Amino acid sequence: MRYPGGLAAIDRVDLRIEDGSFTSIVGPSGCGKSTLLRLIAGLASPSAGAITGRPDGAVGLVFQDATLMPWADVENNVYLPLRLARVSRAEAKPRIAEALALVGLSDFAQAYPRALSGGMRMRVAIARAIVTRPRLLLMDEPFAALDEITRNKLNDDLLRLWREQEITTIFVTHSVFESVYLSTDIAIMSPRPGRIMARHAVSGPAIRDADFRATQPYLDACRAVSRDLERAMAVAV
Amino acid sequence: MSRLLPLLVGLIVLALWETSVRLMQVPVFVLPPPSLIAEALMTDGPQLLDALLETLKLTVAAFAASFLGGLALAVLFVQSRLIERSLLPYAVVLQVTPIVAIAPLIVIWVGVDHVERAVFILATIVAFFPILSNASFGLRSVDPGLADLFRLYRATGWQRLWLLQLPSALPALLAGARISAGLALIGTVVAEFVAGSGEATGLAWRIVESANRLEIPRMFAALLLLSLTGLALNAVIVQIEHRLLRRWHSGHGEAA
Repeated sequence: MRYPGGLAAIDRVDLRIEDGSFTSIVGPSGCGKSTLLRLIAGLASPSAGAITGRPDGAVGLVFQDATLMPWADVENNVYLPLRLARVSRAEAKPRIAEALALVGLSDFAQAYPRALSGGMRMRVAIARAIVTRPRLLLMDEPFAALDEITRNKLNDDLLRLWREQEITTIFVTHSVFESVYLSTDIAIMSPRPGRIMARHAVSGPAIRDADFRATQPYLDACRAVSRDLERAMAVAV
Repeated sequence: MSRLLPLLVGLIVLALWETSVRLMQVPVFVLPPPSLIAEALMTDGPQLLDALLETLKLTVAAFAASFLGGLALAVLFVQSRLIERSLLPYAVVLQVTPIVAIAPLIVIWVGVDHVERAVFILATIVAFFPILSNASFGLRSVDPGLADLFRLYRATGWQRLWLLQLPSALPALLAGARISAGLALIGTVVAEFVAGSGEATGLAWRIVESANRLEIPRMFAALLLLSLTGLALNAVIVQIEHRLLRRWHSGHGEAA
Protein backbone atom coordinates (compact mmCIF):
# COMPACT_ATOMS: atom_id res chain seq x y z
CA MET A 1 0.00 0.00 0.00
CA ARG A 2 1.54 3.27 -1.08
CA TYR A 3 0.69 6.94 -0.86
CA PRO A 4 0.43 8.73 -4.17
CA GLY A 5 4.03 9.63 -4.95
CA GLY A 6 5.33 6.22 -3.99
CA LEU A 7 5.81 6.49 -0.24
CA ALA A 8 4.90 3.12 1.23
CA ALA A 9 2.28 3.42 3.96
CA ILE A 10 2.68 -0.18 4.98
CA ASP A 11 5.17 -2.67 3.64
CA ARG A 12 5.73 -6.41 3.97
CA VAL A 13 2.97 -6.84 6.50
CA ASP A 14 2.32 -10.50 7.11
CA LEU A 15 -0.53 -10.90 9.53
CA ARG A 16 -2.44 -14.10 10.13
CA ILE A 17 -5.66 -13.79 12.05
CA GLU A 18 -6.96 -16.91 13.78
CA ASP A 19 -10.64 -17.64 13.40
CA GLY A 20 -12.44 -16.62 16.58
CA SER A 21 -9.53 -14.62 17.94
CA PHE A 22 -9.57 -11.10 19.32
CA THR A 23 -6.53 -9.48 17.74
CA SER A 24 -5.38 -5.98 18.63
CA ILE A 25 -3.10 -3.99 16.37
CA VAL A 26 -1.07 -1.59 18.50
CA GLY A 27 1.30 1.06 17.24
CA PRO A 28 2.22 4.74 17.35
CA SER A 29 0.14 7.13 15.27
CA GLY A 30 1.06 7.14 11.63
CA CYS A 31 2.24 3.53 11.57
CA GLY A 32 -0.44 2.45 9.12
CA LYS A 33 -2.82 0.69 11.51
CA SER A 34 -5.88 2.27 9.94
CA THR A 35 -4.57 1.65 6.45
CA LEU A 36 -4.16 -2.01 7.29
CA LEU A 37 -7.73 -2.13 8.59
CA ARG A 38 -9.05 -0.47 5.42
CA LEU A 39 -7.19 -3.06 3.37
CA ILE A 40 -8.74 -5.88 5.38
CA ALA A 41 -12.19 -4.28 5.03
CA GLY A 42 -11.73 -4.05 1.26
CA LEU A 43 -12.08 -0.25 1.27
CA ALA A 44 -8.60 0.04 -0.29
CA SER A 45 -6.65 -2.34 -2.47
CA PRO A 46 -3.00 -3.19 -1.85
CA SER A 47 -0.51 -2.07 -4.47
CA ALA A 48 1.18 -5.43 -3.91
CA GLY A 49 0.20 -8.53 -2.00
CA ALA A 50 -3.21 -9.86 -1.08
CA ILE A 51 -5.76 -10.29 1.65
CA THR A 52 -6.96 -13.88 1.68
CA GLY A 53 -9.54 -15.84 3.60
CA ARG A 54 -11.86 -12.91 4.24
CA PRO A 55 -15.16 -14.41 5.36
CA ASP A 56 -18.15 -14.38 3.03
CA GLY A 57 -20.68 -11.63 3.46
CA ALA A 58 -20.28 -8.22 4.96
CA VAL A 59 -17.71 -7.48 7.60
CA GLY A 60 -18.60 -5.17 10.46
CA LEU A 61 -16.73 -1.88 10.67
CA VAL A 62 -16.58 0.62 13.53
CA PHE A 63 -14.62 3.88 13.36
CA GLN A 64 -13.22 6.14 16.06
CA ASP A 65 -16.18 8.40 15.40
CA ALA A 66 -19.63 6.80 15.62
CA THR A 67 -20.44 8.17 12.11
CA LEU A 68 -24.19 7.89 12.49
CA MET A 69 -26.66 9.50 10.12
CA PRO A 70 -27.88 12.52 12.12
CA TRP A 71 -31.16 12.64 10.18
CA ALA A 72 -32.16 9.09 11.14
CA ASP A 73 -33.17 7.66 14.51
CA VAL A 74 -31.27 4.81 16.17
CA GLU A 75 -33.41 2.11 14.59
CA ASN A 76 -32.91 3.46 11.08
CA ASN A 77 -29.18 3.87 11.65
CA VAL A 78 -28.92 0.22 12.64
CA TYR A 79 -31.19 -0.76 9.75
CA LEU A 80 -28.82 0.82 7.21
CA PRO A 81 -26.61 -2.21 6.36
CA LEU A 82 -29.68 -4.42 5.93
CA ARG A 83 -31.47 -1.76 3.94
CA LEU A 84 -28.53 -1.47 1.58
CA ALA A 85 -28.69 -5.25 1.19
CA ARG A 86 -32.39 -4.85 0.30
CA VAL A 87 -33.70 -6.63 3.38
CA SER A 88 -37.30 -5.54 3.97
CA ARG A 89 -38.07 -3.56 7.08
CA ALA A 90 -40.41 -6.26 8.40
CA GLU A 91 -37.71 -8.86 8.02
CA ALA A 92 -35.10 -6.56 9.54
CA LYS A 93 -37.14 -5.56 12.61
CA PRO A 94 -36.29 -8.56 14.82
CA ARG A 95 -32.63 -8.41 13.82
CA ILE A 96 -32.42 -4.70 14.64
CA ALA A 97 -34.09 -5.37 18.00
CA GLU A 98 -31.61 -8.17 18.68
CA ALA A 99 -28.59 -6.00 17.80
CA LEU A 100 -29.89 -3.16 19.98
CA ALA A 101 -30.47 -5.58 22.86
CA LEU A 102 -26.89 -6.84 22.54
CA VAL A 103 -25.51 -3.34 23.06
CA GLY A 104 -28.06 -2.47 25.74
CA LEU A 105 -29.99 0.14 23.75
CA SER A 106 -33.40 -1.52 23.41
CA ASP A 107 -35.14 1.49 24.91
CA PHE A 108 -33.53 3.98 22.54
CA ALA A 109 -34.68 2.77 19.12
CA GLN A 110 -36.59 5.99 18.42
CA ALA A 111 -33.93 8.39 19.74
CA TYR A 112 -31.96 10.65 17.43
CA PRO A 113 -28.14 10.61 17.59
CA ARG A 114 -27.83 14.17 18.86
CA ALA A 115 -29.82 13.20 21.96
CA LEU A 116 -27.35 10.44 22.84
CA SER A 117 -24.07 10.53 24.77
CA GLY A 118 -20.76 9.67 23.09
CA GLY A 119 -20.76 6.20 24.62
CA MET A 120 -24.32 5.49 23.51
CA ARG A 121 -23.56 6.66 19.98
CA MET A 122 -20.67 4.22 19.91
CA ARG A 123 -23.04 1.46 21.02
CA VAL A 124 -25.33 2.33 18.11
CA ALA A 125 -22.33 2.09 15.76
CA ILE A 126 -21.50 -1.35 17.18
CA ALA A 127 -25.13 -2.48 16.84
CA ARG A 128 -25.04 -1.33 13.21
CA ALA A 129 -21.81 -3.27 12.64
CA ILE A 130 -23.18 -6.54 14.05
CA VAL A 131 -26.72 -6.37 12.65
CA THR A 132 -25.59 -8.23 9.52
CA ARG A 133 -24.19 -10.98 11.79
CA PRO A 134 -20.69 -10.61 10.36
CA ARG A 135 -18.04 -13.21 11.13
CA LEU A 136 -15.39 -10.50 11.18
CA LEU A 137 -15.60 -7.25 13.11
CA LEU A 138 -13.09 -4.47 12.40
CA MET A 139 -12.72 -1.65 14.89
CA ASP A 140 -10.54 1.41 14.33
CA GLU A 141 -9.80 3.01 17.73
CA PRO A 142 -13.50 2.94 18.56
CA PHE A 143 -13.21 4.09 22.17
CA ALA A 144 -10.32 6.56 21.84
CA ALA A 145 -12.57 9.60 22.19
CA LEU A 146 -14.47 8.34 25.25
CA ASP A 147 -13.80 8.93 28.93
CA GLU A 148 -12.18 6.11 30.89
CA ILE A 149 -15.28 4.96 32.78
CA THR A 150 -17.35 4.71 29.61
CA ARG A 151 -14.44 3.09 27.87
CA ASN A 152 -14.03 0.36 30.51
CA LYS A 153 -17.73 -0.38 30.42
CA LEU A 154 -17.70 -0.65 26.64
CA ASN A 155 -14.59 -2.86 26.79
CA ASP A 156 -16.47 -5.33 29.01
CA ASP A 157 -19.53 -5.22 26.79
CA LEU A 158 -17.41 -5.76 23.71
CA LEU A 159 -15.74 -8.80 25.28
CA ARG A 160 -19.12 -10.28 26.13
CA LEU A 161 -20.31 -9.65 22.57
CA TRP A 162 -17.18 -11.26 21.12
CA ARG A 163 -17.52 -14.32 23.39
CA GLU A 164 -21.25 -14.82 22.88
CA GLN A 165 -21.44 -14.05 19.18
CA GLU A 166 -18.09 -15.66 18.32
CA ILE A 167 -17.12 -12.79 16.02
CA THR A 168 -13.46 -12.73 15.03
CA THR A 169 -12.42 -9.22 15.98
CA ILE A 170 -9.55 -7.02 14.81
CA PHE A 171 -9.17 -4.01 17.06
CA VAL A 172 -6.88 -1.07 16.32
CA THR A 173 -5.75 0.94 19.33
CA HIS A 174 -2.80 2.88 20.66
CA SER A 175 -3.53 1.90 24.24
CA VAL A 176 -1.35 -0.93 25.55
CA PHE A 177 -3.67 -1.58 28.49
CA GLU A 178 -6.80 -1.71 26.39
CA SER A 179 -5.20 -4.12 23.94
CA VAL A 180 -4.00 -6.49 26.66
CA TYR A 181 -7.31 -6.42 28.48
CA LEU A 182 -9.29 -7.27 25.36
CA SER A 183 -7.10 -9.47 23.20
CA THR A 184 -6.14 -13.05 22.75
CA ASP A 185 -3.52 -11.86 20.30
CA ILE A 186 -1.59 -8.60 19.88
CA ALA A 187 0.34 -7.36 16.85
CA ILE A 188 2.70 -4.40 17.33
CA MET A 189 3.32 -2.18 14.33
CA SER A 190 6.24 0.16 13.72
CA PRO A 191 5.99 3.10 11.36
CA ARG A 192 7.61 4.29 8.13
CA PRO A 193 6.92 2.03 6.48
CA GLY A 194 4.34 0.32 8.67
CA ARG A 195 5.17 -3.25 9.43
CA ILE A 196 4.42 -5.86 12.08
CA MET A 197 7.29 -5.78 14.58
CA ALA A 198 6.18 -8.31 17.13
CA ARG A 199 3.28 -10.48 18.16
CA HIS A 200 2.14 -11.53 21.60
CA ALA A 201 -0.43 -14.02 22.75
CA VAL A 202 -2.27 -13.01 25.90
CA SER A 203 -3.20 -15.85 28.19
CA GLY A 204 -6.01 -15.08 30.55
CA PRO A 205 -9.25 -16.40 31.98
CA ALA A 206 -12.03 -17.22 29.57
CA ILE A 207 -14.21 -14.55 31.12
CA ARG A 208 -12.27 -11.41 31.90
CA ASP A 209 -13.40 -8.68 34.24
CA ALA A 210 -11.82 -5.81 36.13
CA ASP A 211 -9.99 -8.30 38.40
CA PHE A 212 -8.02 -9.47 35.39
CA ARG A 213 -6.18 -6.15 35.48
CA ALA A 214 -4.56 -7.16 38.78
CA THR A 215 -3.30 -10.56 37.64
CA GLN A 216 0.27 -11.49 36.76
CA PRO A 217 -0.44 -12.55 33.13
CA TYR A 218 -2.05 -9.14 32.51
CA LEU A 219 0.87 -7.22 34.01
CA ASP A 220 3.46 -9.38 32.21
CA ALA A 221 1.70 -8.85 28.90
CA CYS A 222 1.46 -5.09 29.46
CA ARG A 223 5.18 -4.95 30.20
CA ALA A 224 6.10 -7.00 27.14
CA VAL A 225 3.85 -5.04 24.79
CA SER A 226 5.10 -1.71 26.18
CA ARG A 227 8.71 -2.74 25.64
CA ASP A 228 8.04 -3.70 22.04
CA LEU A 229 6.07 -0.53 21.46
CA GLU A 230 9.04 1.50 22.71
CA ARG A 231 11.28 -0.28 20.22
CA ALA A 232 8.71 0.53 17.54
CA MET A 233 8.86 4.20 18.48
CA ALA A 234 12.68 4.10 18.36
CA VAL A 235 12.41 2.96 14.76
CA ALA A 236 10.23 5.97 14.09
CA VAL A 237 12.76 8.57 15.21
CA MET B 1 -41.77 41.58 25.06
CA SER B 2 -38.90 41.39 22.56
CA ARG B 3 -41.41 40.33 19.93
CA LEU B 4 -43.42 43.49 20.51
CA LEU B 5 -40.44 45.82 20.21
CA PRO B 6 -40.31 45.94 16.37
CA LEU B 7 -44.06 46.60 16.37
CA LEU B 8 -43.58 49.46 18.83
CA VAL B 9 -40.80 50.96 16.72
CA GLY B 10 -43.06 50.70 13.67
CA LEU B 11 -45.91 52.53 15.41
CA ILE B 12 -43.59 55.32 16.59
CA VAL B 13 -42.17 55.75 13.08
CA LEU B 14 -45.70 55.85 11.61
CA ALA B 15 -46.78 58.48 14.12
CA LEU B 16 -43.71 60.63 13.44
CA TRP B 17 -44.22 60.20 9.71
CA GLU B 18 -47.91 61.22 9.89
CA THR B 19 -47.32 64.31 12.05
CA SER B 20 -44.19 65.58 10.29
CA VAL B 21 -45.72 65.22 6.80
CA ARG B 22 -48.77 67.16 7.97
CA LEU B 23 -46.81 69.80 9.86
CA MET B 24 -44.35 70.42 7.04
CA GLN B 25 -47.13 70.20 4.43
CA VAL B 26 -45.20 67.81 2.23
CA PRO B 27 -47.08 67.36 -1.07
CA VAL B 28 -48.87 64.01 -1.28
CA PHE B 29 -47.09 63.09 -4.55
CA VAL B 30 -43.72 63.32 -2.73
CA LEU B 31 -44.53 61.52 0.48
CA PRO B 32 -48.13 60.69 1.43
CA PRO B 33 -48.97 60.29 5.13
CA PRO B 34 -49.70 56.74 6.37
CA SER B 35 -53.38 57.55 6.74
CA LEU B 36 -53.70 58.21 3.00
CA ILE B 37 -51.79 55.03 2.21
CA ALA B 38 -54.19 53.08 4.42
CA GLU B 39 -57.07 54.72 2.58
CA ALA B 40 -55.59 53.74 -0.79
CA LEU B 41 -55.14 50.22 0.53
CA MET B 42 -58.85 50.10 1.36
CA THR B 43 -60.15 51.52 -1.91
CA ASP B 44 -57.68 49.91 -4.31
CA GLY B 45 -57.20 46.78 -2.16
CA PRO B 46 -59.17 44.29 -4.26
CA GLN B 47 -57.51 45.42 -7.48
CA LEU B 48 -54.06 45.35 -5.89
CA LEU B 49 -54.69 41.93 -4.37
CA ASP B 50 -55.59 40.58 -7.82
CA ALA B 51 -52.31 41.96 -9.13
CA LEU B 52 -50.47 40.54 -6.14
CA LEU B 53 -51.96 37.11 -6.77
CA GLU B 54 -50.66 37.25 -10.33
CA THR B 55 -47.16 38.19 -9.13
CA LEU B 56 -47.27 35.53 -6.43
CA LYS B 57 -48.28 32.82 -8.91
CA LEU B 58 -45.31 33.65 -11.12
CA THR B 59 -43.00 33.86 -8.10
CA VAL B 60 -44.01 30.43 -6.80
CA ALA B 61 -43.80 28.91 -10.27
CA ALA B 62 -40.34 30.41 -10.83
CA PHE B 63 -39.19 29.23 -7.41
CA ALA B 64 -40.49 25.70 -8.00
CA ALA B 65 -38.84 25.58 -11.42
CA SER B 66 -35.50 26.80 -10.12
CA PHE B 67 -35.65 24.45 -7.13
CA LEU B 68 -36.31 21.35 -9.23
CA GLY B 69 -34.01 22.44 -12.04
CA GLY B 70 -31.19 23.49 -9.73
CA LEU B 71 -31.41 20.30 -7.71
CA ALA B 72 -31.55 18.10 -10.79
CA LEU B 73 -28.54 19.84 -12.31
CA ALA B 74 -26.64 19.59 -9.02
CA VAL B 75 -27.33 15.84 -8.86
CA LEU B 76 -26.04 15.56 -12.42
CA PHE B 77 -22.92 17.55 -11.49
CA VAL B 78 -22.18 15.30 -8.54
CA GLN B 79 -22.44 12.18 -10.68
CA SER B 80 -19.83 13.42 -13.10
CA ARG B 81 -17.08 16.00 -12.86
CA LEU B 82 -17.00 16.02 -16.65
CA ILE B 83 -20.61 17.21 -16.91
CA GLU B 84 -19.97 19.80 -14.22
CA ARG B 85 -16.89 21.15 -15.97
CA SER B 86 -18.74 21.38 -19.28
CA LEU B 87 -21.91 23.05 -17.98
CA LEU B 88 -20.95 25.10 -14.94
CA PRO B 89 -19.40 28.00 -16.90
CA TYR B 90 -22.72 28.55 -18.70
CA ALA B 91 -24.63 28.52 -15.45
CA VAL B 92 -22.20 31.14 -14.16
CA VAL B 93 -22.67 33.26 -17.30
CA LEU B 94 -26.44 33.23 -16.69
CA GLN B 95 -25.83 34.14 -13.07
CA VAL B 96 -23.53 37.10 -13.69
CA THR B 97 -25.41 38.63 -16.61
CA PRO B 98 -27.80 41.27 -15.28
CA ILE B 99 -31.36 40.11 -15.70
CA VAL B 100 -32.43 43.55 -16.93
CA ALA B 101 -30.04 43.16 -19.86
CA ILE B 102 -31.43 39.81 -21.01
CA ALA B 103 -35.04 40.77 -20.49
CA PRO B 104 -35.71 42.40 -23.90
CA LEU B 105 -34.33 39.33 -25.65
CA ILE B 106 -36.48 36.93 -23.65
CA VAL B 107 -39.50 39.14 -24.26
CA ILE B 108 -38.88 39.04 -28.01
CA TRP B 109 -38.45 35.27 -27.96
CA VAL B 110 -41.40 34.21 -25.85
CA GLY B 111 -43.12 37.24 -24.43
CA VAL B 112 -44.63 39.13 -27.32
CA ASP B 113 -48.03 37.58 -26.76
CA HIS B 114 -47.39 36.09 -23.33
CA VAL B 115 -45.59 38.51 -21.05
CA GLU B 116 -46.05 36.16 -18.11
CA ARG B 117 -43.92 33.52 -19.86
CA ALA B 118 -41.06 35.95 -20.21
CA VAL B 119 -41.45 37.00 -16.56
CA PHE B 120 -41.46 33.36 -15.47
CA ILE B 121 -38.28 32.57 -17.38
CA LEU B 122 -36.46 35.68 -16.16
CA ALA B 123 -37.42 35.08 -12.53
CA THR B 124 -36.34 31.45 -12.82
CA ILE B 125 -32.93 32.48 -14.14
CA VAL B 126 -32.50 34.82 -11.16
CA ALA B 127 -33.63 32.28 -8.56
CA PHE B 128 -31.83 29.29 -10.04
CA PHE B 129 -28.22 29.77 -9.01
CA PRO B 130 -28.43 29.65 -5.19
CA ILE B 131 -30.16 26.28 -5.45
CA LEU B 132 -27.58 24.94 -7.89
CA SER B 133 -24.55 26.03 -5.90
CA ASN B 134 -25.93 25.14 -2.47
CA ALA B 135 -27.21 21.76 -3.61
CA SER B 136 -23.89 20.93 -5.31
CA PHE B 137 -22.04 21.89 -2.15
CA GLY B 138 -24.46 19.95 0.05
CA LEU B 139 -24.39 16.81 -2.07
CA ARG B 140 -20.60 16.77 -1.78
CA SER B 141 -20.46 17.46 1.95
CA VAL B 142 -20.99 13.83 2.86
CA ASP B 143 -19.35 12.45 6.01
CA PRO B 144 -16.36 10.45 4.65
CA GLY B 145 -16.93 7.75 7.28
CA LEU B 146 -20.52 7.28 6.12
CA ALA B 147 -19.33 7.22 2.52
CA ASP B 148 -16.95 4.41 3.50
CA LEU B 149 -19.80 2.49 5.11
CA PHE B 150 -21.90 2.80 1.97
CA ARG B 151 -18.98 1.43 -0.02
CA LEU B 152 -18.40 -1.36 2.49
CA TYR B 153 -22.01 -2.47 2.15
CA ARG B 154 -21.83 -2.12 -1.63
CA ALA B 155 -24.54 0.51 -1.95
CA THR B 156 -25.75 1.26 -5.48
CA GLY B 157 -25.51 4.76 -6.93
CA TRP B 158 -29.21 5.32 -6.29
CA GLN B 159 -28.94 4.19 -2.68
CA ARG B 160 -26.00 6.53 -2.20
CA LEU B 161 -27.90 9.43 -3.70
CA TRP B 162 -31.18 8.77 -1.96
CA LEU B 163 -30.02 7.59 1.48
CA LEU B 164 -26.77 9.52 1.88
CA GLN B 165 -26.20 12.45 -0.46
CA LEU B 166 -29.67 14.02 -0.50
CA PRO B 167 -30.14 13.88 3.30
CA SER B 168 -26.61 15.25 3.77
CA ALA B 169 -27.44 18.08 1.36
CA LEU B 170 -30.69 19.03 3.07
CA PRO B 171 -29.39 21.86 5.33
CA ALA B 172 -27.46 23.53 2.50
CA LEU B 173 -30.34 22.96 0.09
CA LEU B 174 -32.83 24.63 2.41
CA ALA B 175 -30.50 27.56 3.01
CA GLY B 176 -30.33 27.92 -0.78
CA ALA B 177 -34.12 27.67 -1.01
CA ARG B 178 -34.51 30.59 1.34
CA ILE B 179 -32.26 32.81 -0.76
CA SER B 180 -33.88 31.55 -3.92
CA ALA B 181 -37.45 32.25 -2.76
CA GLY B 182 -36.52 35.86 -2.07
CA LEU B 183 -34.78 36.15 -5.41
CA ALA B 184 -37.79 34.64 -7.20
CA LEU B 185 -39.96 37.47 -5.90
CA ILE B 186 -37.35 40.10 -6.76
CA GLY B 187 -36.85 38.52 -10.17
CA THR B 188 -40.57 38.46 -10.88
CA VAL B 189 -41.01 42.11 -9.92
CA VAL B 190 -37.96 43.28 -11.88
CA ALA B 191 -39.02 41.23 -14.89
CA GLU B 192 -42.51 42.72 -14.69
CA PHE B 193 -40.99 46.18 -14.66
CA VAL B 194 -38.81 45.47 -17.66
CA ALA B 195 -41.11 43.25 -19.67
CA GLY B 196 -44.36 44.80 -18.62
CA SER B 197 -46.65 46.70 -20.86
CA GLY B 198 -50.31 47.65 -20.72
CA GLU B 199 -51.33 44.02 -20.62
CA ALA B 200 -49.10 43.06 -17.72
CA THR B 201 -51.21 42.26 -14.70
CA GLY B 202 -48.64 41.88 -11.92
CA LEU B 203 -48.15 44.14 -8.95
CA ALA B 204 -44.98 45.72 -10.39
CA TRP B 205 -46.98 47.10 -13.27
CA ARG B 206 -49.50 48.58 -10.83
CA ILE B 207 -46.57 50.39 -9.24
CA VAL B 208 -45.37 51.76 -12.58
CA GLU B 209 -48.92 52.77 -13.44
CA SER B 210 -49.41 54.52 -10.06
CA ALA B 211 -46.14 56.40 -10.50
CA ASN B 212 -47.11 57.52 -13.98
CA ARG B 213 -50.45 58.81 -12.68
CA LEU B 214 -48.82 60.31 -9.59
CA GLU B 215 -51.08 58.13 -7.42
CA ILE B 216 -48.37 57.88 -4.82
CA PRO B 217 -50.50 56.55 -1.92
CA ARG B 218 -51.58 53.65 -4.16
CA MET B 219 -47.95 53.05 -5.05
CA PHE B 220 -47.02 52.88 -1.37
CA ALA B 221 -49.90 50.48 -0.75
CA ALA B 222 -48.56 48.20 -3.51
CA LEU B 223 -45.06 48.42 -2.04
CA LEU B 224 -46.42 47.44 1.35
CA LEU B 225 -48.10 44.39 -0.12
CA LEU B 226 -44.85 43.37 -1.82
CA SER B 227 -42.89 43.61 1.42
CA LEU B 228 -45.48 41.56 3.28
CA THR B 229 -45.36 38.95 0.53
CA GLY B 230 -41.57 38.70 0.81
CA LEU B 231 -41.84 38.30 4.57
CA ALA B 232 -44.51 35.62 4.21
CA LEU B 233 -42.44 33.67 1.69
CA ASN B 234 -39.45 33.79 3.99
CA ALA B 235 -41.54 32.66 6.95
CA VAL B 236 -42.89 29.67 5.02
CA ILE B 237 -39.39 28.47 4.09
CA VAL B 238 -38.11 29.00 7.64
CA GLN B 239 -41.03 26.92 8.93
CA ILE B 240 -40.24 24.09 6.50
CA GLU B 241 -36.56 24.29 7.42
CA HIS B 242 -37.40 24.11 11.09
CA ARG B 243 -39.66 21.12 10.69
CA LEU B 244 -37.24 19.16 8.55
CA LEU B 245 -34.07 19.86 10.49
CA ARG B 246 -35.01 20.20 14.14
CA ARG B 247 -34.54 16.50 14.83
CA TRP B 248 -30.98 16.28 13.65
CA HIS B 249 -29.34 19.67 13.72
CA SER B 250 -29.58 21.44 17.03
CA GLY B 251 -28.10 24.57 15.48
CA HIS B 252 -30.35 24.62 12.43
CA GLY B 253 -33.82 25.96 12.00
CA GLU B 254 -33.60 27.86 15.25
CA ALA B 255 -31.62 30.73 13.83
CA ALA B 256 -34.06 32.65 11.70
